[in-house]
Amino acid sequence: MNDIIVSMHDICKSFPGVKALDHVDFELRSGEVMALLGENGAGKSTLMKVLSGVYTRDSGDMEIQGKAYGNLTPKQAQAAGVAIIHQELNMCRHLTVAENMFLGREKVRGVVLSQREMEAEAAEVLGRLKIDISPRTVVGDLPISKQQMVEIAKALSMDARILIMDEPTSALTAREIEDLFRIIRDLRATDHGIVYISHRLEELQHIVDRVTIMRDGQYIATMNFADTTIDQIITHMVGREIKEKFPRVTCEKGKKIFEVKNLNAGRMVRNVSFSLYEGEIVGFAGLMGAGRTETTRAIFGIDPKQSGQIFLDGKEIFIHSPSGAIRQGVVLAPEDRKKDGLCTKLSIRHNIALPNLDLLCNRLGVVSHSRENAMCDRAVKNLQIKTPSVDVDAANLSGGNQQKVVVGKWLARDSRVVIFDEPTRGIDVAAKVEIYHLMNQLKKQGIAVMFVSSELPEVLGIADRVIVMCDGQITGEVMARETTQNEILTLATRFENKMAAGQ
Amino acid sequence: MEHSKQPFLKRLLSVRGMGAALTAFAGLIIIYIAFGLINPTVFSGRNIVNLTRSMSKYLIIGIGQSYLLITGNIDLSIGSVVGMSAMISGTLMSGGMHPIPAILVTLVACLLVGVLNGMLVGKFQLPPFIATLGTMFVARGVAYMVNGNRNTNAIASGIGQEMGDKFQNFFYYGDTLGLYNTFWIAMILFAAFFFLLSKTRTGRHIYAIGSNADAAKLSGVSVVSTVTKAYLVSAFCSFVVGLILCAQASMGNMEAGNTYEMYAVAAGVIGGISPLGGTGLLLGTLGGAAVWQTLENGLNMIGAQVGIQRIVIGVIVVFAVLLDVVFRRGIFSRKSTKKTNELPAGVQK
Repeated sequence: MNDIIVSMHDICKSFPGVKALDHVDFELRSGEVMALLGENGAGKSTLMKVLSGVYTRDSGDMEIQGKAYGNLTPKQAQAAGVAIIHQELNMCRHLTVAENMFLGREKVRGVVLSQREMEAEAAEVLGRLKIDISPRTVVGDLPISKQQMVEIAKALSMDARILIMDEPTSALTAREIEDLFRIIRDLRATDHGIVYISHRLEELQHIVDRVTIMRDGQYIATMNFADTTIDQIITHMVGREIKEKFPRVTCEKGKKIFEVKNLNAGRMVRNVSFSLYEGEIVGFAGLMGAGRTETTRAIFGIDPKQSGQIFLDGKEIFIHSPSGAIRQGVVLAPEDRKKDGLCTKLSIRHNIALPNLDLLCNRLGVVSHSRENAMCDRAVKNLQIKTPSVDVDAANLSGGNQQKVVVGKWLARDSRVVIFDEPTRGIDVAAKVEIYHLMNQLKKQGIAVMFVSSELPEVLGIADRVIVMCDGQITGEVMARETTQNEILTLATRFENKMAAGQ
Repeated sequence: MEHSKQPFLKRLLSVRGMGAALTAFAGLIIIYIAFGLINPTVFSGRNIVNLTRSMSKYLIIGIGQSYLLITGNIDLSIGSVVGMSAMISGTLMSGGMHPIPAILVTLVACLLVGVLNGMLVGKFQLPPFIATLGTMFVARGVAYMVNGNRNTNAIASGIGQEMGDKFQNFFYYGDTLGLYNTFWIAMILFAAFFFLLSKTRTGRHIYAIGSNADAAKLSGVSVVSTVTKAYLVSAFCSFVVGLILCAQASMGNMEAGNTYEMYAVAAGVIGGISPLGGTGLLLGTLGGAAVWQTLENGLNMIGAQVGIQRIVIGVIVVFAVLLDVVFRRGIFSRKSTKKTNELPAGVQK
């Protein structure tokens, strides 16, 4: 009992341009639940991917159940007893529970599948976990919570000793969480080691024995949960240095341009209300999965809204589709530039022209080349897009310049509200600064700017006002100059308390 | 958690794809009775016997295509491989080769196309539509070339009348227990491939790949070998149908099997094989092939033009897929379809 089953020491891992793990130590004992905590991008998932063989570490030592491993492959990790319960569940939804549990290692008698044997063994594992699911149920018919339990059962049927759970409760209801916690406690009692990654700090008290905190790819601390407080944990999590300088521009806050009232769109957008004013940038902070992207999508008309009103310049507007939003002057620079923001096989010219063809075409629907050229020249000049010509494939531009093309196509028309969703993700520091200048430029022109970002320093550095979301709801609104990272993170982890305390 | 105590019908319907397959059979019965009421000859024993033979070809190629559809792929080379099979066997036999070695040579040639398809789609990850479009042209080209761009002579001219009759009877004209041999061949293939798909590891992997190829791969399933096996099944089925056509015509025809790949898709899809992969039962393919031949037969009997027949088939295929899509959407709406971020979580700057 309580021997060390995972020990990672001095682990380093770099991706091009980023040091994702910087001499990280980690340790897991059998019969404990270890919470692995940190902000988005702290390196938690990367560390666990190293442990499960998805990534190979650059340097450092790793021991699993007493055996040293160098370059671990996913197969070896599995054989060593490591299993990840993924956030996005990885199962064949058309197959049954038993079929999924034994996929790739089916039991056969001769050539005939021994369905009965597999079902019996699946039932035995499910029974041991006290999970009431028939092994013959088709996985796609199960709710997410049950699918997750099937994944856990699958891991156990492969004799996994180390279970990594990445945000296991994010999609579960209170009851389901209780079930999950019961299973976790049972696993702990049977000498399994569990790594528990979660942003829901209030949950930790129910199951966690120790916590390890990471920040910016570095190991910060390991503590007994009983000896610490949530405040202490948050302080360890947010102590990020602010390295960049943020070019903030001060403007007079003008009249209200845009207002969203009681917007509801699914579970991730609940009763969202806020206003955007002339001359300010409003930051949207929160953890990944807080519902910010979903909010932008609902506003822009990509996802259907259940209820809510949207006002532009005091008049109510109705947005049912992106093209409707664009016509009314509300535009979005989406989160995933390459996937949603640009047509990467088209030239810059075609990308800029695409949403503006209504302005560029004559009455017969023929695109006017001269108007198109003028529009592109203006965009390239105003936004300083660095490219040899506008006929270059947009995919060949750097991340920063791609983002400028995305913005450029919107500025070519008189947009009133520009929504940026994670505009600086994956681009270098210099390009980030250009994006900040771009937002400032819009702000000076009196365009309402909504700026969604998971990077607290840039939200605090660029936005004037910060709205914090958590779990599909707005949990707070603060002035960027008067707040602290601690305050924002506290708001961002203010989940509805799904479980009664002290259970 | 006791299953055997559930009522039979409920247990039957709990088999994935059974609903769709039974729908096809229900449709079959309705169509059959409707035509029979218009023209009672439809009900005659003679007609039923003919019907079972004419649907057999479509059932066999439908089985092959269903294997691919369930993996989420498609095989467009089916019709051309049928042609290849008819032409190679016809050329060899009309040249005097004994049917058995002729059949074996033909088999090898057809399976080669299956391996090629499997490699192109499984290993080199070509879109199956394009890869098998290519092999479709190549195989048809081979069919043209084996006898120098001519249909073959009558096979009896090479292997003699007696042997020729034997071959033709075995595959097409002969009957056993009152039903044509073609039908029995189809039934044997049906049983064998039904077993392979529902009772063996390979079959399980075929469903898994069509359902979620990534999950299957992570569970240690070899996508390349599974996809190749599916294409081999399809090539084998085409091979058999080629022999049947050769026996029927008593010679190899260069255009034999033209557009059969599409008939095969239709048979599978009418029977509830999802063209998106992951679900479907061969029982459905059986129903689908039967529905189609009953329709064609019935429309013939009541004197409808070929044009009308085609239109009806087209409408039914689209309708069957429409049902499938609506059904799937119903399932998807219950599930979260959250986007995942490709970027490693550590990479932000």
